[in-house]
Amino acid sequence: MLRKLYSLLFTLAGLLIIAGCSEKSNPEYDIQNFTSVFDNNKFDASYFPIDMRETPDGGYIILGGRRLSENSEFAGIYLLKVDKFGQFEKEIDVPKSTGVYPVGKLIEYQTRYYFFCMDEQTLNAQIASVDALLEAVAAKPVQGTLTYPGAVSFIDNNFVLLSYDNSAKQSVISLLNPDGGILASKGYDIGVGADDQIITEKYVIEHYLRTGRQWPFEVGKMANGLYYFNGFFNYTFSLVFSDVQADEPRNVVQGQSDKGGLSAVSYIGANKFAFARFSYGNNYILPNKDVPTGSPSSSDFGGYTLPELVADAPVKILPVTVDNKTALVYASNTRSKQIGLYFYDENSGKFISSRYLGFSNPYEIASLIQTTDGGLAITGTTYLAGRFPRICVFKISKEELAGQINK
Amino acid sequence: MKRLYFVLLFFLIVATATAQEKKRSGSERKRKNNAAYNKKNKEDDKFLQKQWWLGFKAGPNLSKVSVDKTYSIVVPTNYEASTIGKNYESYNLMGSQATLEVSFYFKGFTISFQPTYQRSRFEYSNQFTWSDTVATHNVELKYNQEQKLSYAVLPLLVKYDFLTGRLRPYVQIGVYSALLLDATKIVTVSGVDQASGGANEFQNESVIVGAKDLFAKSHWGLLGGVGLNYNLGNNVRLNFDVAYKHGMSNISSTKNRFSSDRLSGVGDALDDLKLDNISVTLGCLFPLRFLSSGFKTLDKK
Repeated sequence: MLRKLYSLLFTLAGLLIIAGCSEKSNPEYDIQNFTSVFDNNKFDASYFPIDMRETPDGGYIILGGRRLSENSEFAGIYLLKVDKFGQFEKEIDVPKSTGVYPVGKLIEYQTRYYFFCMDEQTLNAQIASVDALLEAVAAKPVQGTLTYPGAVSFIDNNFVLLSYDNSAKQSVISLLNPDGGILASKGYDIGVGADDQIITEKYVIEHYLRTGRQWPFEVGKMANGLYYFNGFFNYTFSLVFSDVQADEPRNVVQGQSDKGGLSAVSYIGANKFAFARFSYGNNYILPNKDVPTGSPSSSDFGGYTLPELVADAPVKILPVTVDNKTALVYASNTRSKQIGLYFYDENSGKFISSRYLGFSNPYEIASLIQTTDGGLAITGTTYLAGRFPRICVFKISKEELAGQINK
Repeated sequence: MKRLYFVLLFFLIVATATAQEKKRSGSERKRKNNAAYNKKNKEDDKFLQKQWWLGFKAGPNLSKVSVDKTYSIVVPTNYEASTIGKNYESYNLMGSQATLEVSFYFKGFTISFQPTYQRSRFEYSNQFTWSDTVATHNVELKYNQEQKLSYAVLPLLVKYDFLTGRLRPYVQIGVYSALLLDATKIVTVSGVDQASGGANEFQNESVIVGAKDLFAKSHWGLLGGVGLNYNLGNNVRLNFDVAYKHGMSNISSTKNRFSSDRLSGVGDALDDLKLDNISVTLGCLFPLRFLSSGFKTLDKK
């Protein structure tokens, strides 16, 4: 009898020990995964992110814009520092006397983070920078006349800037050194004929005023030395290849006026691009595309259609690598007001999996980066209470990212 | 509905036990004199010196949680985080539980294993306000979050009967482990919007989300309580039990705290929590030794 009792007790004790493996607190989990929405309780406050970078302390700097006042023409500059747990550290409402209309990418160079902005009076492009602790923002004008900055990349220790010259009605691609000296610059007409110019310029100016569509301006350089920009040329929204010397582009992927074009351009090396395109409200994903030749039209590119995306959706593309497997993450806005992440095999271009961020309040994509821990950080705009634009950050762990691209 | 089943089952057991008692002839009882009664008591005592008991009990419970570390999706940039902190309600939502009890009694002490299906509920709320110098620029939102948790609770208890006789009060202490079976969250958003020119009060449709991944697969705690056993006469005991479970480990999943995109979207992240629970149960216990047919025990010759 006693032996049976002991057996029962040991069984029960074992059961309790096994079952009682309690949940251990682990700060690493709080770094690997988090969601944060940065709220300001002012009724008329309005913030939107543009780009983000990870800082050496594991936190993040977010470059954003803010509403200045009811009558201000351009968005003000907003900088936000977030710690590695996604908690608020510091913010700067950069005064408009320093600059307005912030432009990404946010570029890490030496110990500072660079971005472009615009002088509110002269509309000249300025190079602005801030340190990792968000101690001070400095801005200096480029050494020349480049107005309406639209997109920037940092290649070979120089800035590649796409801007708009509203006097010459040209999209301008320029190479600048970190001090703002212009190394090379070339402008391309946005349209022909007076009426077309007016219409095309309307699209451009409304973009800067944020009263109209936000165009997916992009600029970069390929391995063969050619530069490219995604912007207005010849009154269509086109992908233009240039050596920044010749008057004529080396090649052009024509869009269709403002109705068709490329909504995202990511050069993924060698002879390959990852694209997304829009056409009359529809959206198409092209994860693996050779460098275009022979002046094609983007409407000939085909691609995977995604009806769940909003019309002419903004799309961001990020190549990621997890455990030696490479993939492309497409991020965009869905009709259900979520941020959709679509994972594609970089080599084959085949769809792997998808994930949706956000619920209840609307969420819109701004930027995504792969973090040093192998995870993914995504920033976007959410509308608290369905109306107040605020910056949100999602952090997805390496484990979860691997799960998405190894399905 | 489940609670109704438990109550019905409980009454069925009580009715069965009572019926067995009634079957015993009333006249036989009348014939008992004091001496016979003493003799019977001795036999009862002998019988009760060592006994296995099997029983079933059920009843309601109330829960409260204590916060170890708080988490939030919404991070204030220009106001204190405490103004949007979560306010937890304690012991305000009734849950239920059903227990199978297996006990071994020996000279006043009982070792008892009581696997339990426990349904616990608790809630919290937090409030957000956006305002401005303009009086009508004011929006208030209140998020109410209810949690429904189902656990398989495995308690191991030691009881001590400090009286013998027909009415046997006892005290009990023990340890338990709880395995998560299911979890649901219900989020209700209500508020007042004065920006549209008047006070527009609204309450959105509740969002019900399966939340099992957000909670720890298991937790453990300590248990204490008091109770009463009432011998119905044929050693079938009616049991009334009050127990307090004190959670010792976190019931939230630290790894999956932000894994629900839906809940993150509505601004909710679970805090590190410990769950305390008070339960009141009624039930019946049956002796397993000396049993013959019809619930007659060999001590009832």
